[in-house]
Amino acid sequence: MPGTTLGGIRRIRKGRSAAIAQLARQRPTEPAAWSEAEAIRCAQAGDAAAFEFLYQMHSRRVYALCLRMVSNPADAEDLAQEAFLQLFRKIGTFRGESAFSTWLHRMTVNVVLMRLRKKSLPTDSLEETIDPDAENSGPKRDVGAADLRLSGAVDRVNLERSIEKLPPGYKTVFVLHDVQGFEHNEIADIMGCSVGNSKSQLHKARTRLRELLQEQVRDQARQDRQAAKSQTGSLD
Amino acid sequence: MQCKELEAVLEHEGLTPLPPAARAHLAECSACQGFLADLTTIQSLAHELPAESTPPDRLWISLRAQLTAEGAIKESVELSHATPWWQSFTAWLKPRTLATAGAGIVLVVTAVFLSRNPISQPVARISYSPVSSRATSTVAPPAGPPVESSSKTPRPSPTEEAMANGGLVLNQAELDVPNMQLAGNSTVDASLRDNLRTVNEFIAECQQHLKQHPGDLLAREYLESAYQQKAELLAAMMDSGRSEH
Repeated sequence: MPGTTLGGIRRIRKGRSAAIAQLARQRPTEPAAWSEAEAIRCAQAGDAAAFEFLYQMHSRRVYALCLRMVSNPADAEDLAQEAFLQLFRKIGTFRGESAFSTWLHRMTVNVVLMRLRKKSLPTDSLEETIDPDAENSGPKRDVGAADLRLSGAVDRVNLERSIEKLPPGYKTVFVLHDVQGFEHNEIADIMGCSVGNSKSQLHKARTRLRELLQEQVRDQARQDRQAAKSQTGSLD
Repeated sequence: MQCKELEAVLEHEGLTPLPPAARAHLAECSACQGFLADLTTIQSLAHELPAESTPPDRLWISLRAQLTAEGAIKESVELSHATPWWQSFTAWLKPRTLATAGAGIVLVVTAVFLSRNPISQPVARISYSPVSSRATSTVAPPAGPPVESSSKTPRPSPTEEAMANGGLVLNQAELDVPNMQLAGNSTVDASLRDNLRTVNEFIAECQQHLKQHPGDLLAREYLESAYQQKAELLAAMMDSGRSEH
C-alpha cells in the first residue's frame, strides 16, 4: 500500500489542507479582506464575524468619544456598548445614505446626550447649548479684556480638564471637530443641525475653553503667589 | 473692520486663512492677536489629544453575548451544515496523531505475519465495492473465472492496485483482531474496536465514492489516509495485545 510512511503522512496533511481550502472557498470572503461595505452587508444578514469586524473598525473612536464626553471609563464603556447595541439592532435599516461612520457617531452622540440629559446636570442647560437656534447663546467675549496668552501656559492636561467643564453641546462639536477630525458637514449630519450651527458651536466652544483655561492660569498664578508669600512670611 | 467683525469672521470662516480685511485689523489690534493666538493654541493642543482609545476586551464580549441573546447575530458560517463528507473523518484523524508512530511498526508486523502465514487463496480481482464493518468482503472468493469481469471493467492503475493490495494485507491482519485480547482494559479495547469500525466504514464510503467518481483525487487521498489510519490502529491493537500478554 502506498502512503504508509512519510509519504502517506504528507498526503494526509495535503488532504487536510485541501479540505480546509475547500471550506475557505465556501465563505464569501475572509473577515480580514472585507471592505466596510461587505462587512455591513454581512452584518445585515446577522453574520457575527461581520459585526465583530465593524466593531473592531470603529470601537476605538466611539469609545474615545464616549470617554471624552463623560470622563469616566465605566460610564464610557456603558455608553459605547449602548451605542453599538443600537447600531447592530438597527443595522438592517442602514441604506448607505450617509457614511457608516457618521451614522454610528450620530447614534453615539444621541446615546451620550440622552444619558447626560437624564443626569440633568445642574450647572449647564443642555437645551441651551444644543438647540440649533440658540446662535446667540454662547459665551460673550470681552474683546478688550486683558490678554493672558495661553501659548506656553497651558498643556494637554489643562485642556482636558477644561474640556470636561464644557457644556455637552459645545463639547460634542469640539471633540468631533478638533479632536476626532470630522468636517462641519459631517458634524451637521451627526448632530442634526446646519453647517453654520456647527461652526458657531465650535467657535463658542473654543472661546469658552479659552476662558476656562485663562481661569486655570489665573488660579495657578494666584496659588503660586500665595505659596511664595507664605514662604517669605515663614522666612521672616 | 472692528473686533466684533473679526470674531464673526473667525466663527464662520475658521481660524485660517483669513481674508485681507481681517489680517489688516489683526495687524493693528493686539487684543485680537492674542485672541487668535489663544484659539490657535487650543486647536493645536486638541489635535494632539488621542482621537482613539482602546476599549477593554470585555466590551465586545458583553456586547456579543447580548446580541446573541437577542438573536441579532448568528455564527458567521454554519460549517457544520456545509461540512463535506470527509470533514468528520479529518476531525476524527486529529487526535490520532499519536498512532502515526505505529505506522512503521504495522508494516513490520504485517510483513512478519505474511511471511509466516502466506495468503493461501489467490486474489481474483480487487473489489471496490463497499466493505462491511469487518472489511472482509474485499477478498474475493477463489471460485469462478477471474478474467471475465476484468475484460469489461477498466484495469486498475498500479497505484490503485497497490492501494487495494495494501488494503487486503490489512484486512488479513484484521482477521486476527477479534480473537485477540487487547489491552486488558475493556474501555480501551472497546475504543480501539470502535475506531477500527469507524475507519472501516470510512474506507467503504471512500470506495463507494470512488466508484461513482473515479477521478476524485481528494477522495483517493482520503482513502489512502484511511488505510494509513487502519494500519496504525492495527499496530496499536497488536502492540496492546503484545504488551499485556
